[in-house]
Parts: sequence; structure tokens; C-alpha cells
Amino acid sequence: MGFALQLLFTGIGVGSIYALVALGFVLIYRTTNVVNFAQGDFAMLGAFGMVVLAIDLGLPYWLSIVITLAALVLFGALFNFCVYYPLRNRSFLPVIISTIGASIFLENGVLAAYGPHPQSLPGMFASQGFNIGEVFFDSQYLLILAVTIAMVALQYLFFERTLLGKKMQATSQDKEMASLLGIPVASMIVLTFVYSAVLGGLAGVLVAPILFVSVGMGSSIALKAFAASIIGGFGNVTGAIVGGLSLGVVETFGAAYLSVPYKDAFAFLVLFVFLLFRPQGIFGEKIAEKA
Amino acid sequence: MTAGQATAAASTRTSAGKHPLGGVTYLAIAVVAVGFAHFTPLPAYWLNLLMQASTYAIAVLGLTIVLGYGGQINLAQAAFFGLGAYSVALGTTTFALPFFPSLVVGIGLAALAGAILGLTSLRLGGHYLAMVTISFQTIMALVLTNWVSLTRGPDGVTGIKRPVLFHNYFAPSAHYLAVSIAILFIVGYFVWHLRKTKLGRAMQAVRDNELAAGVVGVNTYRVKVVAFTLSALLGGIGGGLFAGGFAYISPDQFTFNESVVFLTMVLLGGSRSPAGTVLGTGLLILLPEWLRFLKTIYLAVYGCAVILIMVFMPAGIWGFATALWRKLNPVRPIRPGAIPPLPLTEETGRADGSTILEVTGLAKYFGGLKAVDGVGLAVKRNAVHALIGPNGSGKTTMLNVLSGIYRPTKGVVILEGLDITNLAPHERAGHGMGRTFQNIRLFGAMTVLDNVMVGAERPNHRVAGKTAGLEHHALAALDFVGLVDRAHLQVASLSYGHQRLVEIARALAGTPKLLLLDEPGAGLNHVEKAELVSLLKRLKGHGLTIFIIDHDMNLVEQVAEHITVLNFGRCIADGSPSDVLRDPEVVAAYLGEVRANAAT
Amino acid sequence: MPLLELHEAVSAYGKVEALKGLSLHVDEGEIVALLGANGAGKSTTLRTISGLMKPQSGSILFHGRPIGGLSPEAIVKLGIAHVPEGRRVFPGLTVWENIVLGASNRRKVTRRDIDADVGRMFAIFPELKKFEKALGWTLSGGQQQMVAIARGLMSRPKLLLLDEPSLGLAPLIVQQVYKVIAEIRKEGTTVLLVEQNAHMALSVADRGYVLETGRLVAEGKPEALWSNDDVRAAYLGGRTAGAG
Repeated sequence: MGFALQLLFTGIGVGSIYALVALGFVLIYRTTNVVNFAQGDFAMLGAFGMVVLAIDLGLPYWLSIVITLAALVLFGALFNFCVYYPLRNRSFLPVIISTIGASIFLENGVLAAYGPHPQSLPGMFASQGFNIGEVFFDSQYLLILAVTIAMVALQYLFFERTLLGKKMQATSQDKEMASLLGIPVASMIVLTFVYSAVLGGLAGVLVAPILFVSVGMGSSIALKAFAASIIGGFGNVTGAIVGGLSLGVVETFGAAYLSVPYKDAFAFLVLFVFLLFRPQGIFGEKIAEKA
Repeated sequence: MTAGQATAAASTRTSAGKHPLGGVTYLAIAVVAVGFAHFTPLPAYWLNLLMQASTYAIAVLGLTIVLGYGGQINLAQAAFFGLGAYSVALGTTTFALPFFPSLVVGIGLAALAGAILGLTSLRLGGHYLAMVTISFQTIMALVLTNWVSLTRGPDGVTGIKRPVLFHNYFAPSAHYLAVSIAILFIVGYFVWHLRKTKLGRAMQAVRDNELAAGVVGVNTYRVKVVAFTLSALLGGIGGGLFAGGFAYISPDQFTFNESVVFLTMVLLGGSRSPAGTVLGTGLLILLPEWLRFLKTIYLAVYGCAVILIMVFMPAGIWGFATALWRKLNPVRPIRPGAIPPLPLTEETGRADGSTILEVTGLAKYFGGLKAVDGVGLAVKRNAVHALIGPNGSGKTTMLNVLSGIYRPTKGVVILEGLDITNLAPHERAGHGMGRTFQNIRLFGAMTVLDNVMVGAERPNHRVAGKTAGLEHHALAALDFVGLVDRAHLQVASLSYGHQRLVEIARALAGTPKLLLLDEPGAGLNHVEKAELVSLLKRLKGHGLTIFIIDHDMNLVEQVAEHITVLNFGRCIADGSPSDVLRDPEVVAAYLGEVRANAAT
Repeated sequence: MPLLELHEAVSAYGKVEALKGLSLHVDEGEIVALLGANGAGKSTTLRTISGLMKPQSGSILFHGRPIGGLSPEAIVKLGIAHVPEGRRVFPGLTVWENIVLGASNRRKVTRRDIDADVGRMFAIFPELKKFEKALGWTLSGGQQQMVAIARGLMSRPKLLLLDEPSLGLAPLIVQQVYKVIAEIRKEGTTVLLVEQNAHMALSVADRGYVLETGRLVAEGKPEALWSNDDVRAAYLGGRTAGAG
């Protein structure tokens, strides 16, 4: 029983990372109809930012986090202008490919700058964690959970309670109508990319002490986050969160009870099943084409 | 040359397709390349490079088919490549089979996997389909790495054997390379030729406008499955040859990253042409060697290049070059010569008062919205029957139900006694239903003739003389609408009015019994509309039955013999034009209630 | 000086010319109706004025200043609000939120101003107050039309462009909508009204224009247009041969 609870805790922790990255996917998709294959690389950049600032430059953790996230704000804006904006009126295929290109560029750029050896970041807390009964609550995982809950709450408040949040929602629901009301649509899109980059970067910052920091880490997180958002219902914010959490749990339990090497395969098997039988995911609407 | 010979020559020119190189030149280049590889003593380094380039090129040609021709994104090509490679590797080592049987098994497995992926396209498209391919790729990579007892895991497979035929003829790498190159040229020819076949045209139609492709008679689902199968098959061939060439393979050569590399290769050269594909592959394998001083960052440059290609050169290098070539050397038009007149209807199609299309109790609800709510009508053979009504009355929905794009919520549609209510759009085309669209849906990247050929190639079209016969038929349809001299042009370069006519010709090329026209007059000027009216009258004169939606009452009045009026999804009038257009309820539906008092 | 003028405006979708040299004007305080069959170019006219389409030639003047080529955001800031065809209420936002977003073009507007304006809207559209928290997609066609008009009015426009407000609505609801349109004029807002339903439009309009395939074919006061038969012909044909 204790073991299962432990797995549950770990699974939700891992799932929260997927949820954060998936949220970024969904937001970009809703506003621009673009599937951003480079979303995971925002996480990779966040993790590498921590390595460069906290280890190489020896800055305190809190400062490293602030600077990393600030850099990602800039980066999200750059991404919008270089990767999305020139292709904003084309069909979905060139844009997907362009984001794949951006992903290659980022991963290999960091590889060229940093070399192929995975880095590790020491834990952010003095104490490793604490026990309650049979379950060990790792402090980093607790941080991940806390931050994810905070982000989800903040995001909810932002989108539901602020005017700017409403304007962004309007832009994602009907861009043309939003422009007719005077909402600056281009700015809303930049904001979307910036926010998604920060979400991704935050996921990377949080997960850096747990995983090895390598250039490929972003892609594998992204693929699973993408799978999670399809399972949850593509384009649906709640779906991204539920999908991410569920996937983390399924994967952790699968690794423990079934097979460790094939851990990564579980996510895709679940995805396969959903794509075959319920492509709209848990919360999504039926997909149909208009004539 | 007589007119007949001129026509024959013209047809040969179109059906052979245009290739800048020409058949004989291609063969010559192939012979030279194979000879070069076979006889020139190259250092091992170059042999390996060329081996990689040629086997990769074969795999990337698979992407030319599925992505370039079919428009479907496939990010699992490395997995198919891996299936071929591992089949040869394990076949010749663990299972002690000869090379060629192992290769055949590998090709078969890859093709099977491709077919399965293609089957998932039934309900998915776009990024969902991309995700399925990525999932498959990821799972395959994991299996190759972790199923150690079979695949030997991360250590890979060593000692892969080459074919032992002809007294170990293939043992020297130069000979093996020569054979690989020969196979590359054969595959390249096949892929190039595919573009001008019925299947190739069907794939391009699906790529350019899947909805229209289905309505015009293409079994879009089957085409996508075939595209994926062929792509995987070529991936398997490439992978098998790769394994034999290098004698050692490991799982990390067949990961998602490699699939991305394949994608970049096909995009750089130009996904729609095999020459472009080979160019892109060659460049991306050889360039890094030449740019070795950039070694650490060349992959980053790769990624940047992909973005730049998408923005500035979406047709790739070869596509850009051929577009330039075409601008400087425009394709010569076809001389009409003696084209037999178009046999428009299979029966004589006399107006004998019988009903060709019968609709009973048709309803289509979208959730709470009742777009069509209980409509019945009967279209008489050889009549021109118009469907009119104010904006939002349900006309286009009705037409979409008749074409099979929507399944009706209730009701029955019977075409010449056959219940077609639940048939797919391409099956309806197969029964003689032709259709045009309000927003013109042509296959933008294809020529006028190819567009019309797709229409001629609809299921169950009995025309003598196979492809040549169908081509004559297509030319006849173009001749009927007066556009034969533009058959060789890209449709995108035509004026709007002419594009409309091409759409009509595409429907006519299938020898339809019933032609559904959705606002054919939309966007036409006075002159074009007058020409359309006379075209419609000629069609009727040839025995065709026409069902037309339009808002221009002048046009409708001039051609229609029978009018059905819809309002709010219901039929409010049905009869001759003079009766219907003066019916007070119809007037009210369009203009509003007649006012008693004119003062504001 | 007229509030809005179009001079020989030509507008196209890709290669298709939808407006072939249209000239019209709207004076302050008027309600002007733009009539014609579907495909005549009525919606294109409004989209060209509001900036969703750029005119290829000709000019559009608002208060005497050229606005052709400006972005929709800039044009709504100048005081032209466009309520497009199909209502386009934001489906995932509530009635209240939709209406508040209508003020997005206004600079330096306080929360109190907005609340006051929303209050005014609920006074004009009393039925909406009940649905204030309902999401856009749950509303009926008529309710959506009210929300769309209220949202347009929130921008305090000098000129309101209304595109087919009666489309898809039951006759009784159409009457309600038109009562509101008459009210709007009383408040001093100028209205350019596009309608397929000629009767309703001419019942509130001061003047009307009739379009056919991108060209003006008739203009004048409502009674004149109605008895002219041009209106009827534009929709239902019946012109003698030789008019093409």
C-alpha cells in the first residue's frame, strides 16, 4: 500500500511536469492553431539556464531562476517573430516543419555550446525530504507539485478574472472578431508565445535537479506532453492538466509493475489507443471538417 | 503531319509527362554512375559516404511519395528503415538466411507496418496523424534498444553478410555500391513515373484538396493507406541495403532524430520531385563533410536551414529551379486537332419525364440547428432544376448531403432507383454524380489536364482505351468548355472564370448522369455569366441533368425549368419558374413581408 | 461633409473582384440601407470599410480623412464599429464579458465608465441582463444578435456597420432587433445597414442603395426604391432580356 502511494506521489510529480509543458502547447494551439514541436526545448533551455547560472557562474538558486525565466520571456518573443510570424498565413504543414526545425536548431545550438555530456544539478533544498508513514516525500517533487498548483491557479485567475486574460481568450476563439473590437491581435499572440515559453522553462527549471540535464531532454518531455494533451483533449486546458497528470501516473506505475526499459512506451501505447478509439480525448469535442 | 498524327503526338507528349532530362539521358546518367562506382578505385571513406547517400536516398524517396505526392506527414520513416535494416542484419546473422530473402522479409515487414499506420488515417489527419507516426517511431526505437534477446540491444548487430550470389560478387564494397546505385535509379524512375499514373494523380488530389478529391471519385482513404505502404516499403529497401553495406547497425541509427533528418532531406531538395529528393539527400550527407570546420554547429545550421526553407523556398531547391526553368521555357500548348466529341451521358438521356434523383423527407441537424428539416424533391431526367432560397435557408447543406459529404439525420436519396443515402462521396461519383463547389476546389499544384483527368478516372467509368482513352476523354471535356489550349498550364495561373470552367470540365470528364452545381455564377462578370448560361444550355442539349444552386435570379431564370425554394430548411415552393418567382410566400422570404403602408 | 464616403472603391478576394468601383456616402445621423441579393458585394463593402479587406483602388473617407488600408484595430479606434455577419459572439465567454470587450478600442477608460456603459446596454436590451453570466455558445440566435450589437455599441462608435442582423432569425425576433436599431439612431449613432431582407431594412432606413454583382444599380428614399421594382429585380430577376 505504501509502495503504491509512493508511486502515486512520484507519478503526480512527473505528471505535473508534463502538464506544465502541455499547457504551453494548448495555449499556443488555441491562439494560433499551431502545434509547436519545439515546446519541450523551452524546458531544455530552462534546465540549461540553471546549469549555466547556478553551477558555472555560481549564482544563488533564486537569482538563477529569475534570470532564466526572464531570458525565456525574451526567447518566447524571438520565437514568435522568427518561427511563427513569417508563416502565420500558411497551411499547418510548413508551420509544423518550421517548429521541428527550430527544435533541431535549439538542441544542436546548445549541444555545440555545451558539449554532449549530461549535466547534473544538485538539489535545491538542504533537506532531501521527509517521511509520512511509509511514503517518502521528496522535497523537489513537493516543489514541483506546489509550483504546478500555483501556476494552474494563477493561470485560472489570469484568464478568468483579468481583462487581459479575457482579451487573450477572445483572440484564441475568434481572431478576426477580436481585431474588429480593437484588441491588438498580434500582441496577444506574442504574449501567448512568451507565456508558453515561460511555462516550458519553468518545467525545465523544476525538473533539472531530478533528471540529467541533456540536450535531448526537452524532446522526450515534449513528446509525452503532446501525447498527454491529445489524451486530455487537444485544445482543452483542463484536458492538458488531467492528461499530463494521468500520463505521469500511468508511466510510473507501468515502470514499477511492468517494465522499466519500456517506461517511455506506455505513454505512446495509451496515446495509440486514444487515437484509434477516441481521438477527441477525454474532454475534447468531435473533430469534423466543414465542407 | 496530319491532324490525327498531331493529336497522337500531342497526347504522347502529355502522357509521357515532362521531365527536364528525358528518358534516354536518365538511362545514360544511371549507366555512368553505376559504372563509376563499380570500376573507379575509391577510398573506403568515399565508398561509405556514397553508400550512405544512396541507401538514404531510397528511403527518402519514400517520403517523396507519402509527403510530396500525398501530403501526409510521416515521421516514422527511420522506423521503417530500421525494420529493413534489422531484418537483413538478424536474418543473415542470427537466422543464417541468405541476404535477399532477409531483405524481402524486411521489405514485407516495413510495408505491413506502413499499411497499419495508413489505416489509422481513417479518422485522423494533420497533426494527429503526425503524432501516430511519432508514437510508432518511438515505440519501435524502444523495442530495438530493449528487446535484447532478439535485437542484441544497444550493442547492435555486427557481421552482417552481403549477398553470396555469383561467387560473392557483392563482397567488394565497390560492387555493392554499384548495385545500390542501380537500385536507386530504378526506384527513382518508379517514383517519377508514379506521378503521371492514376494513383499518383489521386495522391496529389488528396494532397491539394482532400474533400474535392473524394467528391470527384477518389477513394481518399485507400490512397492514403497505399501512400504510407509504399513509403514504408521504400524505407525498408533502403534500410536493408544499408545494413548490408555497413555490416554493422545499432538502434541509435533509427531514432526519431533520424526521421527528422530524412524529413529535412526531402524538404531541402523539394518534396514533390524525386530529383529534388536525391539532391537534398546528397547535399545533406556530403555538405557536412565539406563543411567539417563547422562540425560542431552544422546540425544547428541544419535546423535553421529548415525554417528558412519553409519561409523562402517551400518547394525546395529543385522545386525552385524547375519553377524558374518553366518561367524561361514555358510548356507548349496542346494542338486540339481532331478530338472526338464528348459523349456526355451513358444513356441518351432523353427528357422522358422519368425521375433521375428522388429525395424524400431529408433532414440534417447539427446539434440543435435544423439546417434542413424535411425536404423532398424530384429531379426529372434531362431537366435543369434549380434550388434557391435566402441566405441560411439550407441550400448548401442540402447539396452537401446529396454529394455525401454529410450523412443525413433523416430521409432517403435515390439516384436512378439506387439508394445512395449512405454511400461515400467517391462511390456517388462512381454512380455518375458530378459536382462543383461554391468556393472553387481545384487541385492547385496540378495542371489543368491533370485536374480533369482525376475526374475522368472516377470509379466505374467505362471508357475504351485505358489511360489514353481517359486522356482523350479529359481533353474532350476541356474542349467542351473551350479550354483545351490551356490544358498544360497550372490551374493556379488561370483566371477565376476559367478556373470555374475547369471545375465543370472535371465533373464532365466523368460522364456524369447528374451534375450538381453549387453557385457556378459566383464571382463571374456579366460576360462570363452569359457564357455560363450558354454552356449550361449546351449541356442540357446533350442530355445531361443539371441541379443548380444560385442566387442570381437572372441566371436561374434563363436556364431553369423547375425551381425548388427553401426557407429555414423547409421547402416553401416547388414548380415552374414563372409560378415560383411570383409566389407571395417566396417573395416574402426574400424581400420580407409586403408592407401595407409605404411611409416610414 | 458626409460622415463616410466611398469613391470608386474596388475590392477583391484574390482574383475575384467583389466590388467594382462602388461610390456611396452616409451622412451623420442617418440610417442607410445597403441591399442586394447574396453575392452582390454588401458584406464585402462593410469588410472593406472596417479594414478586414484592403481596397485595391478608390478611396474611403471618414470625416474627410482617408482610411483605406488601415488595420481593423486602427479603424475601430477612429469610431467605426463593425458587427459582422453571423454575430460571432465569443462562444467561451459570458454575455457580460463579450459586451465589456466591446470597449477594447477605447483608451483611458475606467472601470466605472465601463460598468456605466454596460448598464446602459442592459437598459437597451433588458432581456440580456438575465443572461449576463451565460456563455456565448448557449445563447439563441436572437440573443446572440443582441449581444453582438451591444458589444458594437460599447466602443461608442460614430458609425455602426451592421451586417445582416436578421439572418437566420425568426420574424418576431427580427422585429425586436429592428426596434433596437431605431433606438440606436435616436441616441445619435449613424448606421450603415446591410440586409438581404429589404422590407425590414427599408422600414427603418432614411435612404437605401441597391447592389448587384459589385455595382450600384439603384439608390434613393425607401418609397422610391420599393416602387421602382429595381429592388425586386435585384433579388428575383424578372428583368427583360437586354439588361445584362
